[in-house]
Amino acid sequence: METKDKIIFNGVSFFYGRNRVLDTIYAKFQEHTITAITGPSGQGKSTLLGLLNCMWNEIPGARCTGEIRIRLGNDWVSPLEKDIPLPLLRRKVAMIFQEPNPLPMSIAKNMAFPLKLAGMRDKSLIEEKVRNALVQAFLWEEVRDRMEKSALDLSGGQKQRLCIARALVLEPEVLLCDEPTSSLDARAGGIIEELLVSLKAHCTLLVVSHYMDQVRRIADRVMTLQDQGLRPI
Amino acid sequence: MIHGIAEKAIAVFSWVLTLALCLSVAFFLGYLFFRGFPSLGKELIFGQADPLKAVMGSIRVFEGIFPAIVGTICLVVLSATLALPVGVCSGIYLAEYAGPGMKKLLGMLFDILAGIPSIVIGLFGFSLAVFLHNHFSDHFGPCLLISALSLAVLVLPYIVRSTQTSLEELPVSIRKTALALGASKLQNTVYVLIPNALSGISSGIFLAIGRCAEDTAVILLTGVVATAGVPSSLLSQYEALPFFIYYISNQYSNQAELSRGYGACLILLGICAALFLLAYGMKKHLSYRTLYRA
Repeated sequence: METKDKIIFNGVSFFYGRNRVLDTIYAKFQEHTITAITGPSGQGKSTLLGLLNCMWNEIPGARCTGEIRIRLGNDWVSPLEKDIPLPLLRRKVAMIFQEPNPLPMSIAKNMAFPLKLAGMRDKSLIEEKVRNALVQAFLWEEVRDRMEKSALDLSGGQKQRLCIARALVLEPEVLLCDEPTSSLDARAGGIIEELLVSLKAHCTLLVVSHYMDQVRRIADRVMTLQDQGLRPI
Repeated sequence: MIHGIAEKAIAVFSWVLTLALCLSVAFFLGYLFFRGFPSLGKELIFGQADPLKAVMGSIRVFEGIFPAIVGTICLVVLSATLALPVGVCSGIYLAEYAGPGMKKLLGMLFDILAGIPSIVIGLFGFSLAVFLHNHFSDHFGPCLLISALSLAVLVLPYIVRSTQTSLEELPVSIRKTALALGASKLQNTVYVLIPNALSGISSGIFLAIGRCAEDTAVILLTGVVATAGVPSSLLSQYEALPFFIYYISNQYSNQAELSRGYGACLILLGICAALFLLAYGMKKHLSYRTLYRA
């Protein structure tokens, strides 16, 4: 179903210098689903995610060929063709990293930061969006009374949920999660899993994970990246 | 067993050397204080002149080091003003925008510049003054501006390299955070990378300030004189504390005069400390003002 497709990889290959990391990948990802990507370490799972929001552009000597298409709203964009400005692409295709990375400032400022980067100045609108994102990330009740406190004082799980909320505040259509629970304990990881499943209603998720139990719990589809190729399991 | 003993021996050796270093600095400062403190006072700075009138500029100070203090502060502030924007911007360019070839080439040029002896930089300043005098106006000659320009060239590599290194050493997680949130390269540099690298950048600035305040060879050829009074313009000659110290340590006729030299050393150290504190305060303020205030 063409209309349900959100992301299409069409013969995508990726190189670090002369080293081929991904080889002619063909894949489709449907909207409002969670696709888990597994596979041995060092096979290029994080690189694969980074192709979608062009984070690979920041790596010297990296090169990508083929075609990637992402449907944003009603339009298809091709990041490799550079037909969309990078900041705009990254607001719509957000990324959560393995290690929570709150900025060294208050919770409120962390949350408002992406909105201000996007040029939003309306204080009441910012507050509303921040609150909605924190509610969506199951964090509002825990931080509502300490929004002006440093984000660095939160627990590991709370920090990761803050980072997810910070990405959600931009209302992304695709959420890329690079091992989002690997630095957390089982309880905090469980909350994040529950959160990711709930986010399916709002966006399309690609989750890199090493934990097969977790993958079975949350994913609609599982794919493995091995020997430079992506295959469904 | 042998490995454990060797490790302990290295630890003790390092500790002893660190202690020796700290004691040397303490001894040096103590000695300076011991020799210079008796001469510290109104007379050392203002001589027989009325301090208020001297500060207001209504009378000239002949016997005190007040003009040298003012000259030194002017020199440091002017040199830093000239060197900082160029140095910091070059460092940012090298770290964030330059390609590998350009990075290598410019890096090598700045390293060569850092290795040039200060007397050669002074000679360059002197040649520049002569050139301007011969080709543009008789008003040009060795002066405060030429000295500041020469000192700026002298300290530029420290500022460039410290800015470049502190930006390049930022962890990838910090580099990627704002980019992944939709920041442009410029926004990422201004709002995230520079504030996070400010500690390293300011180390280079501190070093540059210290170098501007203490260097004698450069100013010797570019405009400092023994008696010029408080500098009246950028194109006038001036007095400076390092030169006063150098001059008096060579020309003193009695212990009281030498003691004035030690007193001037203490004041120079005080000025450096004050400028460091000012730079540190500005760093903290800047960091707060710029950090993530998109």
